[in-house]
Amino acid sequence: MSRVTLPITIVVFLMVSHLRAEDSSLDFFEEKIRPLLAERCYGCHSADAKELEAGLYLDRREGLVQGGDSGAAIVPGSPDKSLLMRAVRYEENEMPPDRKLSDEEINALAKWVEMGAPWPADEVSQAVVASGGYDWEKFRNEHWSFRPFSKPDLPTVQAPDWARNEIDLFIQAGHEANGLRAAQSASPITLVRRIYLDLIGIPPTPEQVDEFEQAMRADPTSAVSSLVDELLKSPHYGERWGRHWLDVARYSDGHGGFLDNRPHPHAWRYRDWVVAAFNEDLPYDEFVRLQIAGDILKGHEAVVATGFFALGPTYQSDGGDPDSVAQAKSETLDDRMDTMSRGFLGLTVSCARCHDHKFDPIPQADYYSLAAIFNNSNVREAPLAPEEEVRTFHQHQEKIKNTENRIKEKREAAKKEERELSPEESAELESWEQDLKQLRETAPAPFPTAHALHDSGNQNMRIALRGNPRKPGDEVPRRFLEILAEDTRPEFRDGSGRLELSQAISSPENPLTTRVIVNRIWMHHFGKAIVRSPSNFGVLGELPTHPELLDYLAVTLIESGWSIKAIHRHIMNSATYQMSSDHDEQNFGIDGDNHFVWRMNPRRMDVEVWRDSLLSVTGEIDLSIGGAPFDNLANTNRRTLYAKVSRNGDVFASDTFLRLFDFPLMRATVAKRPFSVVPQQFLFMMNSQFMIDRAQSLAKRLEQASTDREEQIQLAYQLLFSREASTEEMELGRAFLGEQESSELQPLVQYAQVLLSSNEFMFIR
Amino acid sequence: MMHRNPLPPLNRREMLNRIGAGFGTLGLAGLLAPEAEAAQAASPLAPKAPHFAPKAKHVIQLFMPGGPSHVDTFDHKPQIAKYQGQRPEIVNRKTLRNTKNGLFPSPFGFKQYGKCGKWVSDIFPHTAQHVDDICFIHSMHTDIPEHAGAMLMMNLGHLQPSRPSMGAWLTYGLGTENQDLPGFIAMSPRAQPRGKLANWGNSFLPGAYAGTYVNIASMSKERIIHDLKNKWLPRATHRQQTDLLTRLNQIDLERQKSDQQLEASIQAMEMAFRMQFAVPDVFDTSQESKTTLEMYGDSEYAKGCLLARRLVERGVRTVQLSHSIDGYDIAWDTGHGDIVGGHKRLADACDQGIAALIKDLKQRGLFDSTLVIWGGEFGRAPTSEGQKGRDHDHYGFTVWMAGGGVKPGFSYGATDEFGCMAVENRVHVHDLHATILHLMGLDHEKLTYRYSGRDFRLTDVHGKVVHDIIA
Repeated sequence: MSRVTLPITIVVFLMVSHLRAEDSSLDFFEEKIRPLLAERCYGCHSADAKELEAGLYLDRREGLVQGGDSGAAIVPGSPDKSLLMRAVRYEENEMPPDRKLSDEEINALAKWVEMGAPWPADEVSQAVVASGGYDWEKFRNEHWSFRPFSKPDLPTVQAPDWARNEIDLFIQAGHEANGLRAAQSASPITLVRRIYLDLIGIPPTPEQVDEFEQAMRADPTSAVSSLVDELLKSPHYGERWGRHWLDVARYSDGHGGFLDNRPHPHAWRYRDWVVAAFNEDLPYDEFVRLQIAGDILKGHEAVVATGFFALGPTYQSDGGDPDSVAQAKSETLDDRMDTMSRGFLGLTVSCARCHDHKFDPIPQADYYSLAAIFNNSNVREAPLAPEEEVRTFHQHQEKIKNTENRIKEKREAAKKEERELSPEESAELESWEQDLKQLRETAPAPFPTAHALHDSGNQNMRIALRGNPRKPGDEVPRRFLEILAEDTRPEFRDGSGRLELSQAISSPENPLTTRVIVNRIWMHHFGKAIVRSPSNFGVLGELPTHPELLDYLAVTLIESGWSIKAIHRHIMNSATYQMSSDHDEQNFGIDGDNHFVWRMNPRRMDVEVWRDSLLSVTGEIDLSIGGAPFDNLANTNRRTLYAKVSRNGDVFASDTFLRLFDFPLMRATVAKRPFSVVPQQFLFMMNSQFMIDRAQSLAKRLEQASTDREEQIQLAYQLLFSREASTEEMELGRAFLGEQESSELQPLVQYAQVLLSSNEFMFIR
Repeated sequence: MMHRNPLPPLNRREMLNRIGAGFGTLGLAGLLAPEAEAAQAASPLAPKAPHFAPKAKHVIQLFMPGGPSHVDTFDHKPQIAKYQGQRPEIVNRKTLRNTKNGLFPSPFGFKQYGKCGKWVSDIFPHTAQHVDDICFIHSMHTDIPEHAGAMLMMNLGHLQPSRPSMGAWLTYGLGTENQDLPGFIAMSPRAQPRGKLANWGNSFLPGAYAGTYVNIASMSKERIIHDLKNKWLPRATHRQQTDLLTRLNQIDLERQKSDQQLEASIQAMEMAFRMQFAVPDVFDTSQESKTTLEMYGDSEYAKGCLLARRLVERGVRTVQLSHSIDGYDIAWDTGHGDIVGGHKRLADACDQGIAALIKDLKQRGLFDSTLVIWGGEFGRAPTSEGQKGRDHDHYGFTVWMAGGGVKPGFSYGATDEFGCMAVENRVHVHDLHATILHLMGLDHEKLTYRYSGRDFRLTDVHGKVVHDIIA
């Protein structure tokens, strides 16, 4: 946590030393010791130090006695047992670091400690205690996200004819309370594009648009609900929504570069598992549990799910310096902690790595209670096959190897003895060769593997003082966050503790897990979330704009058997979702940021959707599903989901393309992608081979359909924008095609490139 | 704390973005015409107001990866010779690296230069001519004596490669003055410094703030940025094509009414069009006069120095120029075995270019607004490793700065009499960062970015501005 606020919670209380010292010893202190401490130590070890080092105060007696991160600085009466003495003698820690004290000064300090460290008895002192004293009840009762939820009452609204389902009542109540008017319903064309792009990430073909328009004329309600149902059954739904989750999982193929450079060649197995989980509508609680403890719960059938953690960075040290080794390890653990806590719970538990959380009720002890679970869980390549199959495979391979060895030995023995093989030996060899051939032919196929977690220990951890793993504090038991746990807060004792953690996180009693996921689903449908800090539901996060709606959706999720698809249906069948994104001056004046959802938010496509749409309208896209990733998207027409991604976005040609259009850095969990507009994006559209290739394909498609310019223009508008060109657009197109110089690119190719680069194509409205 | 309005007020940055970057500021945008101002507001690289009046507007960091030895360059320690081969208490530290042998005097001669009488080693004769322009900090110290971590500490204030670089922070904080060029350029001849992209990366900051890397040895003016050149269309034809796109986007914008994202897109596209010509132009040194080219000399690093001047001259905010010879990513680490061979060649390869850069900036009136920073990730110990070499010393080393806002002809802080430890006015790398940001008009405690649910800073929770070196 940065020092925007006080670096340490300081509790000041008055304290009077119990010591009754003789005047002479106090004189000694005032003459020899206090000036020495002030001059050489207070710079880093006093209340006036700009940065207190090692948590050690040397401007008060209790500071010396209680000590800092490394323990007590002095044992009064025993200089030889005092750390302070070893430090000033440069036997340990080497203090003060700039220049060693003189022998005279060291002797004076030793004498003072031996005297019992006398200090003026009437001195009023300040003492520092760890904070940690959170008012748990207050947090549980007053902070919205820690409160338990129940199904809220539906609001009553003044105009009952707008709402189509419960969601609309919550939204409409917000409109009425703020003097807002809901936008008109979106046109069928806008709506059909929105639904396709939202659910499967590919625009509708002109035929699909027609079909929907007809259905809308017959019955708008069933037109939308049947299209939503149909697309939720499409295998491309999982590709689109799985990708949202892969952002949360900071999914990459490894290649983290410097200090974390391993490739993760099997990472895609986890990606395919996520896609399949969405397609199957795996209940969200199970989805969560398997990613934390799939290996424990379902063995080889779900071990791949723990890729959620295993695919994160595993840092190393460059030179083996002990500080740097320890830091690499704690950085790795922090990745797991951060991904787990923000990804599932919307809590910034990582802030408690070095000290108690400043704002949320997360003591540093809780951080190490949970970090220990990951400290007990190593990464391995796990077989994705039953044990029996794995054993058979290995046994068979072993047989092959043994046979090979036998043959080799026999041959070499003869060779060594410089003799021909006897006929018996030859026959034997021939029979072994036969065996080998047969063994090879009947060898079972190799089984796939995945990067996964496995339990490698069952130990607790010690608190790392100030986050420094080389300064261990008290050991803490493994258990769940106090703010979310039941009063008993059982200790985790089963192996690493992951199984118990997975149960705690996916419990319906947990007030965060469901709220976090329904908020994210809402965000991906509307571009803006109900809680606009989707991974921070803590005190510093945003408040929900519609807390009751959020709870309503959370309860609905549980009641539907944790079905994500049920939430999609509920949202997409609402009048709220089906509003247009039209601007409205009066509404804008009241709620410019659309907190109360008076219109749909227009959104730029994610990079995946944009590229897939480009390939789709040119007729080139290859919609096959799953499998190993591609280094260079330029060499494939597969969907963008199948690009290889490095952790820093700096290794593969695909990275360069993705990062240009705001694909997030896969170093840390991401719930909401950043949005940027930079000139380099337009250099790509104007000058890249990829865009020229697409333009040529589109031009070809248009030419094949018609030789008439107007028809070509109309077809382009139908394919790209699902609508007719306006008179002005038609005029501009005709003029361009008639007048533009033909160079290496025909005018129609240049024109196709313009349309493919247009904003309208890139936006979901 | 528990009860807040669900409609949070706009933060400062959002506010600036909405009402135009020039709002009540000292920045360039404030001087622009209203239309231009609106255009600037569209770009994440638009000039932004600093927190207070800056001393400098541009940074050129002459980064010396590998750890140049301070006692063989700018931190003259004649006492070493007196105690040659001995191990006085101050250097007798078990926590220093391989320094089992005794004190090892610099094999290079030192002479006094300038009005300030600064002692400089014979391997930097050209730079030595400018000591009256330079502010030396002799009391630098850092956390670990390991290249990787210490280099990251110097360039991003953190031992692991998981934070934005200083250049990215500066560009995030201030934007840049020329919208046709990237705001932050990182360069090196042949080898990228160890850690590569991390040294100029944006990490969690938005992509616009990432350094654009240019390899001086193998650069092609038209490939400095991906897809910079249109290979298919003559300029006039390309312009027509771009005009059609702009027109169609405008029609869309009119239909959508007040969509700011769309307006930003149109502006960015125009910038992209201009970049195609502005970027190759700035990297074309053939336009320089013969006198200028001769002043810099023909080393690759000197070419980088010349490019650095051309870049800041055109308003680029930050330039990081890393040294390298022989394709080595920690070039100055050649000091382990033999300080003479290693350090002499490295100094030869950069000295003239550095001196020429200072002179050139002065001649063109850019020196006062440009902060030049020279230094590596740590120094080297006065005791010897083997017979003729030195191992790493992170307890004390030298960084110098020149130009924008630092005291000229000034030396600050000191190592002990042998150059082992920073003992007087110690300056940690975090303090250096705080000072650099301060000189650029930024408060290092206020330049924050919210990520992972918390506010990050270049200086994390550390850093004190060294006011004593500010002119």
